[in-house]
Amino acid sequence: MNQDKEFVLAETSSAYGAADDGIDLPLLMDSLAMSPWERMQANDDALNFGGSLRAAMIKRNEKPK
Amino acid sequence: MKNLSELTRRLIVAQVEFVLVGGFAAVAHGVTLVTRDVDICCRFSEPNLMRIQTALADLHPVYRMRKDLPLELTPEICAGLKDLCLETDLGVVDCLGEVLGVGNFDEVLKNSIEIELPCGHCRIINIDALIIAKEAMNRNHDRITVHHLKAIKKQQSQN
Repeated sequence: MNQDKEFVLAETSSAYGAADDGIDLPLLMDSLAMSPWERMQANDDALNFGGSLRAAMIKRNEKPK
Repeated sequence: MKNLSELTRRLIVAQVEFVLVGGFAAVAHGVTLVTRDVDICCRFSEPNLMRIQTALADLHPVYRMRKDLPLELTPEICAGLKDLCLETDLGVVDCLGEVLGVGNFDEVLKNSIEIELPCGHCRIINIDALIIAKEAMNRNHDRITVHHLKAIKKQQSQN
């Protein structure tokens, strides 16, 4: 149990450490492992997902209480 | 539904003479920020502009600043254009005659690399010129993009 906890903390600490520099390095490394075309399509997926979230929020806020 | 990849594919297939610049070029270089439009620097010749029109024809292109005006280029209109900012069914395409900090199309072309996409070859502004362009624009999101681009350069130099 403690070992699992230490592992998770170690994982998150590296991510938080990267965030101090303003860059999520693991995320950047994942991106660099992709081809340019895969990155462009990932952008489209994220853009559309963001759009669907915004639409859902608008719909939710329109509902009468 | 936005599809910036498809917009880019259409420009390539239509043999538009262009260089991918801006946020989508940054994405292609590896930046993990999400961008909402395709920025290209292109030659503002009549044949090239007509190729853009043909590539986007069935996507209901309109001028981004005058959405009531559909894109209906004529030789006279082409002759007076310096930029062409369009909204289509698949997203926004900004066609620029020059890039701040880098120069006109020929200068941008000199500062570009060719990448191979499934739909064909595409020229994309190189990472150094993109950093210069983003630093010249100097908006908040440009500064963040520069930070990412410099991190990518550092990673690439270490590999």
